Amino acid sequence: MTDPDPSAPPTPRVVDLAAVVEPDEPEPASPAADDPNLSPAQREEAARRAEQDRRDRRLVRRLKEGDERAFQELVQTYQNRIFGLMLRMISNRQEAEDLAQEVFIIVHRAIGSYRGEGRFYTWLYRIASNTCKNRIKYLKSRNFHRSVEIEDSPQAQLPAAEGGAIVTFQSQVPGPEATVEGQRMEVIVQRELAALDPEHRLLVVLRDVQGLSYQDIIRITGLQEGTLKSRLHRARLALKERLAPYLR
Amino acid sequence: MAEHSPNEADALMSAYLDEELAPEEAAKVEKLLSESPEARAELSGLQNMLKLVKGLPEVVAPPDFYEKVARKIRRRRIFSMEFLGMLLLPFQVLSVVLILMVAATYMLLHLDNDPSVKLEKDPTVQPPPAPPTP
Repeated sequence: MTDPDPSAPPTPRVVDLAAVVEPDEPEPASPAADDPNLSPAQREEAARRAEQDRRDRRLVRRLKEGDERAFQELVQTYQNRIFGLMLRMISNRQEAEDLAQEVFIIVHRAIGSYRGEGRFYTWLYRIASNTCKNRIKYLKSRNFHRSVEIEDSPQAQLPAAEGGAIVTFQSQVPGPEATVEGQRMEVIVQRELAALDPEHRLLVVLRDVQGLSYQDIIRITGLQEGTLKSRLHRARLALKERLAPYLR
Repeated sequence: MAEHSPNEADALMSAYLDEELAPEEAAKVEKLLSESPEARAELSGLQNMLKLVKGLPEVVAPPDFYEKVARKIRRRRIFSMEFLGMLLLPFQVLSVVLILMVAATYMLLHLDNDPSVKLEKDPTVQPPPAPPTP
């Protein structure tokens, strides 16, 4: 159990399941791994996804039968991705960990309502993004601001022209300096990401940080394809604007 | 497909970078890029920014993440059972008290109304003769 931060507002203990758990909808069939129209990389990706779906279905079936070991496997499969999503959205490690745990607790409670018609993966992400949005709203309503947790040195604030800029997380020459520069740039990107509107932030995190496909993002967010394309573009432009002083 | 204005084509630039456009939409963006230095600059800026964002290190959850989740689930389960027990306890006590009170009231009233109730129950005792009716 993590130590509670006395300065943090208490996490609401009772989660309204209906507010975060939506029924899974049937999804259009994913491209088959043996589709001749796909490139070798796409075929490999399709095969990987199909295998992941089969594995998830088995785990969900076992979990519904009361096998706690299956729940452990599910958590361990997705914990890094869900924790990563929360950390990039909330910018606070402790808060992100609590929220990611909350997501899996909700999954444990609501697994009975998962009908298995859609992919487990997108259902889990929908719960995670709803939980995250609710939390951001809750924190905002209490004027609760958490700074980016990773070391936020004054040097990291300097724009390119003043020697504070780097354009990649590791310079060409590996070593301690590259590591320090990488950490500094991570702080900058995370800070500017945190300054985006939460809806925009979610799209950038899902697409550019976590590398989800447009189809998956559409299933998670419920956006129309055209809306996703234009909103993601606006989000990226806003982030580009904010990061402009650090881009060479 | 409908003809795209420069603004519409501009909005498709991100999807173009992600290779998520239909061929005819991609052709519109490419036309815009060939005609507009501003669009090319924007595309280049987006590519640089994306290099930064996609370079964010992968995040790893703490090694005891599952144990913490399992502990929270167990704690909430116990809490909800205890809570249910505590919620029902006053009703159980109240029921017993109510039954006792009804029983006591009944006995008191019955004894007060007819103190000879014990004698009447003795079959050897004859009831007093009824007064003659006029």
